[in-house]
Amino acid sequence: MIKRSNRVAIAIVGATAFTLAGCREEQVDAAAFPDLQSCLADASRGGIFTAQDCETSFAQAQTLHVEAAPRYDSLAVCEEQHGEGACDTEATATQGGSGSIFMPLLAGYLIGNILGGRTGMSAAQPLYKTSDGRFTDAARNSTFSNNSGSAKLNTSQFTRPAATVGQTPMTRATASSRGGFGAAGGGRTGFGG
Amino acid sequence: MQKVTLPERPHWRDQAKEVGFTFADMHGEPYWDETSAYAFSLDQIENGLEDPATALHAMCREAVSHIITSESLMDRLAIPQPHRDLVADSWRRGDPEIYGRFDFAYDGTGPAKLLEYNADTPTSLYESAAFQWQWLENQLAAGALPEGADQFNGIHEALVARFAEVFEQNSDLHFTAVAGNPEDYGTVEALGWAAREAGLGAHYCDLDKIALSDDGQFLDDEDRRIAVLFKLYPWEDLLRDDYASHISGSGCLFLEPAWKSLLSNKGLLPVLWEMFEGHPNLLPAFFEADVDDAMAGRGAPTEAVAAAFERAEAQLVAGHVRKPILSREGASVSILKSGTVIEQSKNSDYAEHPRIIQAYAPLPQFDGFRPVVGAWIVGQACAGIGIREDRSRITQDLSRFKPHYVTK
Repeated sequence: MIKRSNRVAIAIVGATAFTLAGCREEQVDAAAFPDLQSCLADASRGGIFTAQDCETSFAQAQTLHVEAAPRYDSLAVCEEQHGEGACDTEATATQGGSGSIFMPLLAGYLIGNILGGRTGMSAAQPLYKTSDGRFTDAARNSTFSNNSGSAKLNTSQFTRPAATVGQTPMTRATASSRGGFGAAGGGRTGFGG
Repeated sequence: MQKVTLPERPHWRDQAKEVGFTFADMHGEPYWDETSAYAFSLDQIENGLEDPATALHAMCREAVSHIITSESLMDRLAIPQPHRDLVADSWRRGDPEIYGRFDFAYDGTGPAKLLEYNADTPTSLYESAAFQWQWLENQLAAGALPEGADQFNGIHEALVARFAEVFEQNSDLHFTAVAGNPEDYGTVEALGWAAREAGLGAHYCDLDKIALSDDGQFLDDEDRRIAVLFKLYPWEDLLRDDYASHISGSGCLFLEPAWKSLLSNKGLLPVLWEMFEGHPNLLPAFFEADVDDAMAGRGAPTEAVAAAFERAEAQLVAGHVRKPILSREGASVSILKSGTVIEQSKNSDYAEHPRIIQAYAPLPQFDGFRPVVGAWIVGQACAGIGIREDRSRITQDLSRFKPHYVTK
């Protein structure tokens, strides 16, 4: 039996390596729409997505919204993240939701030209407002300046976001201090052995 | 086990530069050195190193179970009192280990002897898993190695498998190290690649940029919550930092887990000897405080170890090594033969720590260099080796990394 790996990762790229990985991915055509109507209108003008795509995607985004929207333990924290008036209780947004969990309102959706049925992927993604007037996805990994328009996006953008329903809602996470690790190492510059 | 002179790959320095292996030369000396390589038989690899290392890791797990039930051992290993529950809880919860490196004295004939276990923050992972692998592939292609030569190096694939086994797909992991140290960073990035290949999200943040949120969670430099933190920074320092008291309430899973602080501690060696006295891969070892008077002819060893000490005394007197329980890269290690210091490291970091005494197993010599074989444990099994050699009897930070191959 061969005792070595078939392949390895050979490059040390530097701290950017941790964010670069996404840039090497395959890209797909994608478009954002504030609502179903604008998607249908675009489809009727011969956009890249058909009316059928619009319907399916909008339904998917709504399902994902219920399942994976960011959830907060107070209106204040939610509005701090998504802007004033951009949040509501889970009870209003979904059937059987809690009145003390808060979610941002669906502010649009993103459709990617991804083949259906890929594991862990969803061609439609809900969008939410950010406090500075931009838009973000459910996992809050990406920010978009607009909720309408088309672009090439990495396929990873269409990863199915982790479910938040039934999870402990997020609490405020402002940094109260920084730099509390590293001092005990004194003047040493390396810590491996 | 042989040392074989080989032609260097003509452009390996350019290649190293290209792939970001910036520490291939360090302190003006070569660190990566492929002017020769070590050759092993498959029997030496599998029966001399791989299986013993896997077995030793299992023994170390038994030692952890034992140590966490003993306040006196926690004392001797200098685990700070307020954090003993953190260490014990990490074990009881089953917080997963990712990797570690046993350092062996091994000459290819007798059993490999365990010098120490770098169980918490081992480095040289990139050189072992990646650059060494590339060397083999290039040299096979160039016809510089015997046909069918292999390498004991499944490290990268084992890491990918380990990350995939431990974490759900798409989990986010943070990786941290002290800023500005390319050597430490190389190890961290090698782990980051493996995590990503396992379908996980990997983020990097310098150690001193980590923040604490109002509600006691750790945040990265962009204020994102850290749910899992791989830290290339030793537990003995972590537990003495300002944030130490926030670790247990942070909800953050630390890698390596806190129980590794009991293994990456030379105090492990006397504990192993007490539990598994006479094991072929172990050297007799004692806490200095128990046997120092007896060694110096001033008195008796403490009662608990008297019988075991008597059985090992002649071997210890013939030659032994004194090591601080917390020490890296050979700092403050001294080697004594018949009461005379024959070698002492110049680096005196850690000199204030309590010490252990371990019987001296001389490293074999090849062309004036003494190799230490590092056996990588990934998860709970040995997945490959990396060799560092030094002119000195104590392998220190000027040692050279040597590639190896396995003959058919």
